[in-house]
Amino acid sequence: MELDEFRRSLDDWLDQNEHLLRPGHAAAGSLDEQMAQLAVVKRLTYDAGFMRWGWPERVGGLGGSSLLRAYLGEALTFRGLVEPGIYSMTEVLAPTMIDYAAPELAATMVPRLLRGDETWCQGFSEPGTGSNLASLSCRATRTDDGWRVSGQKVWTSLAQYAQRCVLLTRTGAPDSAHRGITALFVDMDSAGVEVRPIETMHGAPEFSEVFFDDVAVPYERTLGAEGQGWSVAMDLLPHERSTALWHRAAYLQQRLAGLLQATPAGALDPAEVGEVAQLVFALRARSRATQRRLAAGERLGPETSIDKVLVATAEQAVFDLVADGLSASVTTGDDPDGARWRREYLYSRAATIYGGTAEIQRNIIARRLLDLGADR
Amino acid sequence: MDRTERDAFERGLRHAVGTHTGSALDAALLELGWPDALAQDTRDAVSVLFALQGSAHASSAALDRVLACAMGLDVPPSSGFVLPPLGGWGPPGELDRDRLVVRGLGTSSLLAGATAVIVARAVNTEVAFCVPSAGLTLRPVHGMDPELGLVEVHGTVPKDALVPEVVSPSWPDAVALARLAVGHELVGAARTMLELAREHALARVQFGQPIARFQAVRHRLAETLVGIEAAEGVLDAAWEDRSPLAAALAKALAGRGARTASRHCQQVLAGIGFTTEHEFHRYARRVVVLDELFGASRALTRELGAELLATRQLPAFAPL
Repeated sequence: MELDEFRRSLDDWLDQNEHLLRPGHAAAGSLDEQMAQLAVVKRLTYDAGFMRWGWPERVGGLGGSSLLRAYLGEALTFRGLVEPGIYSMTEVLAPTMIDYAAPELAATMVPRLLRGDETWCQGFSEPGTGSNLASLSCRATRTDDGWRVSGQKVWTSLAQYAQRCVLLTRTGAPDSAHRGITALFVDMDSAGVEVRPIETMHGAPEFSEVFFDDVAVPYERTLGAEGQGWSVAMDLLPHERSTALWHRAAYLQQRLAGLLQATPAGALDPAEVGEVAQLVFALRARSRATQRRLAAGERLGPETSIDKVLVATAEQAVFDLVADGLSASVTTGDDPDGARWRREYLYSRAATIYGGTAEIQRNIIARRLLDLGADR
Repeated sequence: MDRTERDAFERGLRHAVGTHTGSALDAALLELGWPDALAQDTRDAVSVLFALQGSAHASSAALDRVLACAMGLDVPPSSGFVLPPLGGWGPPGELDRDRLVVRGLGTSSLLAGATAVIVARAVNTEVAFCVPSAGLTLRPVHGMDPELGLVEVHGTVPKDALVPEVVSPSWPDAVALARLAVGHELVGAARTMLELAREHALARVQFGQPIARFQAVRHRLAETLVGIEAAEGVLDAAWEDRSPLAAALAKALAGRGARTASRHCQQVLAGIGFTTEHEFHRYARRVVVLDELFGASRALTRELGAELLATRQLPAFAPL
């Protein structure tokens, strides 16, 4: 399946099935509503085949270029059918399973994620481990019949909805840093797992704290080898900055277009509008090049930190402009549109924090791309 | 060009811009077959040469050839092209009843050659004329960047002395291609500024360690690279798009990226970068002038914003 053919058939299919795909809720909806909507869209696009293109056949896909996945997410986002943040979790977690899980496990599990039967989460950050990921301490101990996991994770997106978790654990000595980390694929309904959603300033409990109290995890659920967890994490992170980011760029473009429609005449300075549009276009050009490299089989690495800096900058710029152009709606509007703009504005404040802070991305650029040597 | 040909082409050009500037560089480009490459493979010819020229701080009359190529004008290779005045992007000529009024800039080829090519706005269209340069007032510009070799042009030519070129030139296409060329030159200059600052940060020791260890320094240089790569990405996309909108976008981002590079790199270079003992100042001067050619980033940004506010739509750009 070539991209042009995929684009045509998907666009046709979306036109014809818009009434089935359209969310029932007003504006953005609650997180519960967004999750329900996501499951509907995933199921319909999977059954129609579109969600399966771009994924390997051994995990239930139909093969073809990853550009097909990039286009699917873009088209769904442009039409306002999915919220891109929760949609793109698939782009981050499915590649990790495909690369590191035992083949039978990946073949069983990945289709459930693609079809929307399941939600997965990513257990990386801990209360004492934010930017310094290699210092994590959630412990997995070997026993005769599998791992036993005890510890705590935080900022775990969608944990309260998730059936599975890609979890980083400490299996080496406490000071073994990046060498002593092992990745596990954990069932969230296991005894000893407790999830406590975090109330955030944008009003959607997207993140949770997750507590593990002597949780049993079979050895077959190890992703990669024992002690290989750092590689799993390092290979996963570029996926946060590639196709998922292309979808985010489409979202920013869609919201900026929405702002141009909704803003009162004279409310915005043309110079500021031009600058924000340039940031969004620059992000799009950069991210397209990354999509093409990914599709050509290139291994993505630290250069994707540039994409991440661009998306965080663009997202905050777009919503700063929203706060200017739609100030009444953002500050005092209590209708669904006002609530949505406000929530998006507030969420954009986190764009330079989650997924590696803006400072960490610049550290990566300085060390790995500019070769400025270690900073400590 | 295939990969091998492009590499060989780039090596030849790299050597030329590293050893020559001005009319000597023009002669070297002719010998390397760059004008032929421009006609056959415009993207490679423009993007490779102008990036190298910016990076090496060389100057040439290649921009004249780019404009002639974009407009499909078959003019003598020694003729000079009149560019819009600094900061502007309209045609430099105006047809006023019985005369042609010219106000603009040129590269050094205007001083050297016998003929000047002038594009003038007529009713609903543009017309190109070849006129003797001797009839124009030419002032070599020193200004901010004397090494760039710009020439200020003004003059009036009686209409009965004018013979229009047969082609109907597309001025917007010419502006778009010139913006891509100057965009690459700005990015080339910014990359050299970054390299100069990077070398300094690794070599300069304070408080017992290279200043490259300090996060304030590292982040300035990282931010510089982000600006450069953003501009480069939009330039690449603009070559695929080939729309005036994309070229304006690319030029604006290249101008802003180069000015950002100049600010951060100057700060990292600190005292030495403020002296003429270090070559940084030559690049800092150049990017200020190049940013103004065919529309400065500020003006292009405002123009884009005004257009978006008027149409209330975001144009399609960079499809997958």
